[in-house]
Amino acid sequence: MADAKIHDLVIVGAGPAALSCAVYTTREDIETLLYEKAVPGGLISTTDWVDNYPGFPDGIEGLTLGDNMRKQAERFGAVIELGEVLGLKKQGDIITLDTTDGDVQAKSVLIATGSGYKKIGVPGEDAYYARGVHYCATCDGAFYRDKRLVVVGGGNSAVQEAMFLTRFASHIDMLVRSDFRASDVLVKELESKFADKITVHKGIITDEILGAEIDGMNKVNKVLGTDKATGKKVEFETDGVFVFVGLQPNTGFLKGSGVELDEIGLIKSSADTLTTAIPGVFVAGDCRADATLQIATAVGEGATAALKIREFLEGHL
Amino acid sequence: MGVLALKINKKGTIMAKNITIYTTNTCASCAMVKKWLGAKGHSYDEVNIDNEPHRQAEALAVSGALTVPVTVVTKEDDSQEVVIGLNLARLAPALA
Repeated sequence: MADAKIHDLVIVGAGPAALSCAVYTTREDIETLLYEKAVPGGLISTTDWVDNYPGFPDGIEGLTLGDNMRKQAERFGAVIELGEVLGLKKQGDIITLDTTDGDVQAKSVLIATGSGYKKIGVPGEDAYYARGVHYCATCDGAFYRDKRLVVVGGGNSAVQEAMFLTRFASHIDMLVRSDFRASDVLVKELESKFADKITVHKGIITDEILGAEIDGMNKVNKVLGTDKATGKKVEFETDGVFVFVGLQPNTGFLKGSGVELDEIGLIKSSADTLTTAIPGVFVAGDCRADATLQIATAVGEGATAALKIREFLEGHL
Repeated sequence: MGVLALKINKKGTIMAKNITIYTTNTCASCAMVKKWLGAKGHSYDEVNIDNEPHRQAEALAVSGALTVPVTVVTKEDDSQEVVIGLNLARLAPALA
């Protein structure tokens, strides 16, 4: 939807930080356009269940929470475009975004692109992607009814998604590199309610994912690892592997833009104002260096960014 | 032999006559593909493999992948284009 209009605010992303900001800016009559390349709601929309976001005493499905945030922002006039932002540059007071729909211009920009799931980086991981290696339990878990699975990771996502996958899988081997990083509540839930279906193997480094010709298709059949304590090689028979080993910021499109990134690609900003190295370009949520990677804090940063963007625009509107 | 009359759009490409999307109940990307198709005015058949688990082999056979969404676009000349995942860069031209 490339056009000659100069938008008050373009938000890159439509996750919790982005939608929270949009609720505030649209209520202040700041015209707000969001660009989302995947699913409004962001990573939470692929999360089975959210128990730590205030206001939902019984918890809430991630997909529902994300969709509710989208509806709330749209109710006040936020416009969400499905498309991808490929680059950003500023000339004078105008910021131009290179998108899959052409150039889009804005007086201010919020980058709230969040993160995607990180790969382990072992042999077999790419070769068997979507053929036994997966990063989205809510998307692909249904293909593993009565099958054995391996879940790699020990954080909140790994524990939450492993518990979700017990709806389908007959048994899950959970490979944790050192010890759990997940919250105590989640770990206790896993240990008390899912011990019969999930076997936790701590101190296991995942080395390789192997496959074989099964039913005419080359599929995953084994995961090789190393026991850190003994140094011995270990192996796990499996029909599939779900990987939840951390997050990778979605900031590749900013290389060469002038927005400063740290060594892992997180966006550097002023902690007080959430401004990046480019005036008028703000950042909030999981893609920001020093972010605490929680839905609640992303929402808070989105609201803070909205107030800072309003201050910035007061000199430009 | 009769002449096969294909529906050709303004860009000269063969139009879709049928769209089938394989989904699950919990798949956010599936919901987005359905929403996008609806917004663009395309009707589609949905195969929900949570509700019809016996059809997951069909999704695997058509895509070669153990994932959803899988969108199968059958064109007027019966050729098929299969789009795996929420990939609008591929889906939009397939339905152009």
